[in-house]
Amino acid sequence: MENLFFLQSEVVSALVKGFIVSVKLIVPSAIFGCIIGVVIGALGVYGNSIVKRIASGYVLIFRGFPLVVQLFIWYFGLPYIGIYLTPFVAAVLGFSLCSGAYQSEYIRGAFLSIKTGQTMAAQALGFSRIKMILFVTLPQAFRRALPGCGNEIIYLIKYSSLAYMITCIELTGEGKIIASDSFRYTETFMVIGAIYLLITSVAAWLLHRLEHRLQLPGFEQYT
Amino acid sequence: MVDTLPILRIENMTKWYGDNEVLKDASLTINKGELKVLIGPSGGGKSTFLQCINFLVKPDRGRIWLDGKEIIRARKKEINDYRQKVGMIFQDFNLFDHLTALHNVRIALVRVKGMNKGEAQERAIRELDRVGLKSYMNQYPAELSGGQKQRVSIARALAMDPEIMLLDEPTSALDPELISEVLDVIRDVRSGGMTMIMSTHQIGFASEMADEFVFLEDGSIVETGPPEKILYKAQYARTREFCSKITELYGNSFS
Repeated sequence: MENLFFLQSEVVSALVKGFIVSVKLIVPSAIFGCIIGVVIGALGVYGNSIVKRIASGYVLIFRGFPLVVQLFIWYFGLPYIGIYLTPFVAAVLGFSLCSGAYQSEYIRGAFLSIKTGQTMAAQALGFSRIKMILFVTLPQAFRRALPGCGNEIIYLIKYSSLAYMITCIELTGEGKIIASDSFRYTETFMVIGAIYLLITSVAAWLLHRLEHRLQLPGFEQYT
Repeated sequence: MVDTLPILRIENMTKWYGDNEVLKDASLTINKGELKVLIGPSGGGKSTFLQCINFLVKPDRGRIWLDGKEIIRARKKEINDYRQKVGMIFQDFNLFDHLTALHNVRIALVRVKGMNKGEAQERAIRELDRVGLKSYMNQYPAELSGGQKQRVSIARALAMDPEIMLLDEPTSALDPELISEVLDVIRDVRSGGMTMIMSTHQIGFASEMADEFVFLEDGSIVETGPPEKILYKAQYARTREFCSKITELYGNSFS
């Protein structure tokens, strides 16, 4: 009886609160990550040599630094130069920049897989470079990159659990509080793990539906 | 049909790839309504020459005038405007894979010419009808045969109302039984008075249609003249050798 009461009053509401914070972290980070990925990926393929170098430098840094270290820099480091971010903003910033670095490599690979003939045809029709990217290569690259980008989004869902390290208390953070209050580590984190599994399953299903919707003859994903 | 106004003038086009000079001082003038055919061995510079003409390959040297106006290569906007007037047909079609036949033809009208979608759609359907593919307009490139893809690419180029068309071996990537449907379309466009520069090995078809043959070898224009002269009474031994081989292979008359 006591257990049940503990569950209802404390655990459920804490987990719901944490779940909501997690989703609020994941959704914008995934969107910004994709946008950054497309921009950096496109610059890495279509930029001049200086721009290409900047793009690959971006990837090198944001893929190379441990994510926790990046979060610490945004949250604890920036105040030294007078910039104070809330834990939530620092987390979204860190996740977006890191996710963007990974996404950009999927997008870059997809841009490179498009035969140069199509870019020549677009140029021969008078397309400017930016219009060529927007209307000819990006729609194709996005389709080709989607399985990889989806993979990165699934991964992002799980590394969002690092946000509590900079005091943005999301699902894992709430779990840690519950666990250390109650000393029920195993039960708590089993439940937390199951909730992440649920989120990734829903995300995988949504991504699969998106892939299916964007499927065109010649762009089939063989499953 | 042919008046003497030079529509396109190319002077001293030169292109190096590393130490290899793939195009050597190639010059060509073409009048309105003319068809000039580039012949010569593969690797002789035909493709490079055509691609230099609309700057898909950046020539190291050379000047181009369209309608008497020199094209300044440094001005991107000017290049893009110029390219709209120079239609290009590629050996391997280069349709946009994510768009239907109709949208392949329509996209540049909307995105480059800024036409409204309805008007562009009508124009695209008309061009597809002209190449006999109106009923295929909702098919994607992956669902079309090589010959159909090439006809779509011709429709795509024609929709831009080009002043001149460049055709880079338009039938070389096709199965033999699909070649004639593409040649028929080219013949039809030609009889509409379109100015064209075409590279091809279809020597019979070319000699029936061309005003002039241009023989290119090792990046140089070796010899220029009417088809019958180049094919049978060429000045240079190398031209004669090439022409006798190619007529043997492809026949000297298409029909």
